[in-house]
Amino acid sequence: MHWRQFQELQKVAEVGDRFISYVEAGEGPVVVLLHGAPTWGYLFHRLLPILERRYRVLVPDLPGYGFSDRSDRFSRCAHRQAERLCAFLQSIGVERASFIGHDLGAAIALRLAVYHPERVERLALVDAAAYDCWPPPFLHELGHPSAFKRWTPAAISKRLAKSLAPGFVKPEPDLLAGLLAPYSTEIGALSLVRDCAALDCSETMELVPFLPTLQAPSLVLWGEQDVLQPLDAGRRLAWESARSRLSVLPGAGHFSVLEQPAEAAAPLTQFLETPLQALLGRSPASPAAGPL
Amino acid sequence: MIVLGSRKPVTEQMASEAVAKTFEEIKQALRVTGISLNFRTYAAYERFFPLMWAAMRPNVETRAFEEAADRLREEAVHAAAGMERLSVLARAQLGESQAFQAENALLLYHYLNPKLLIFQAALARALEQDTPEPRAGKAAGSAELIERGAPARMPPMEMVEEPADDPVVRRTLRDIRHTLSLEETHSDYRTLALWPRYLSAAWQRMKPIVKTDGYDTACVRLGEAARRLAQTLPHPIELSRELVGREGEDADALLADTKRFETALPGLILNVSLLVLDWQAPELARRSPFPAKARSRTEAL
Repeated sequence: MHWRQFQELQKVAEVGDRFISYVEAGEGPVVVLLHGAPTWGYLFHRLLPILERRYRVLVPDLPGYGFSDRSDRFSRCAHRQAERLCAFLQSIGVERASFIGHDLGAAIALRLAVYHPERVERLALVDAAAYDCWPPPFLHELGHPSAFKRWTPAAISKRLAKSLAPGFVKPEPDLLAGLLAPYSTEIGALSLVRDCAALDCSETMELVPFLPTLQAPSLVLWGEQDVLQPLDAGRRLAWESARSRLSVLPGAGHFSVLEQPAEAAAPLTQFLETPLQALLGRSPASPAAGPL
Repeated sequence: MIVLGSRKPVTEQMASEAVAKTFEEIKQALRVTGISLNFRTYAAYERFFPLMWAAMRPNVETRAFEEAADRLREEAVHAAAGMERLSVLARAQLGESQAFQAENALLLYHYLNPKLLIFQAALARALEQDTPEPRAGKAAGSAELIERGAPARMPPMEMVEEPADDPVVRRTLRDIRHTLSLEETHSDYRTLALWPRYLSAAWQRMKPIVKTDGYDTACVRLGEAARRLAQTLPHPIELSRELVGREGEDADALLADTKRFETALPGLILNVSLLVLDWQAPELARRSPFPAKARSRTEAL
């Protein structure tokens, strides 16, 4: 699917003075897919057809990202993103859902599970931004106030493409271009600079003491060859989180949900379909994870 | 339509510190989220730009300026409502979020373009004078100051980069430039190019209309109304050919650029009005999409 076709599927929800573009498909229990930085809902366009067969799937673009509101008058930090996500779900009548978060989206989903446990049924953290091993250097650099003056939108796109390419096992130029399409204009690039300025690992470090008491069962899903978020962080996350298990995708990189959607969907659907009671009975430290 | 002079417009991204500061002031005073092509072009005249803004700003911040633009918008919608409906929205088949964003982008220009035409008419009049024109008596317009800053719901002024990546967009923009004898594409079209199918459908419907006598007449009337309304602004404009020359700038080139913008804007106002009528009934489209409150006392400080 071309990114423009995905964009055409997007609905809109107004949340206060901001708006959120999102794709909604399927029927059944609600599953929310949260993208990371610097991508957008298009990241999940190959996973969506698999999940929508059994679930009502919501794929929002986080404000500041993709084709959601990109004006300059709101905070992009993770805790505000989590609050806006709650308001968005409330605006469309969703009280509780399962969350599949990738990269920054996983950090936001984890915040929801910690601070709004009543809203989170299950939590899948895919190649998550976790602990203090993010943001990667190129996003850190892009968040510097001088970045927008230093580089044109075209130069920013070029740098991003070069920096994200190692996250793919086999980089496909069209997919990469689709992921970065919303940031090709001056406003898009400026919004991304603001997004990157708000990336702050203290917002994930703050969650660490709460991991052993997480109420929602979680699946930590990681690409074995992820060079953007280290697998060690995934192992530690699964080990420290209550009711968590780790699943490592052999031969996958950071963008497994895009590159190997069927392989990524298998553990995700298994996790979503396992009776909640069975998942809740799981001991805090899964033997599969192991300590660092 | 706008044909540029020899100076290359300055983008917000590439602006020097001094120009960026003036750009920010312009956005605050005009209550918009972006810098339009006329200001980007004037910014290329480094000595003229601050002089021009200092002379124009007192009027831009007044109720009289806002109301003059409101009257132009009303007139444009009245004229557009008498023309054939474009029904572009139905033809372009935009997604829900795309349609929401395209409508908001159109409302931004529906708000801004009439203000720009009043601005250009007042500036052109000043640049036609050898010395600053003395104000005869008290002007009719209100000198009340209006609030500063872009309204919370106004979208950013986003537009595609040129040359556009999409070949269909490139072709359509080329046709627009060719048909309207433009050297560079105006912001409105570059914004609509964010939704290529919408731009194509809009241009397909507008192209025959912009060649009609009725359209020409409406443009001329808007231009004349802008000149009349510009004279109701409350503050004298301290700018003239002599002052511009004293700063070492080319008054003839600046007047030519100013008149080109002044000539182009009625068409842009009319086109946006025609497109807005796909979304709004004429009664609603006549009103300002972003009404301005009076400036608060703390803001005035």
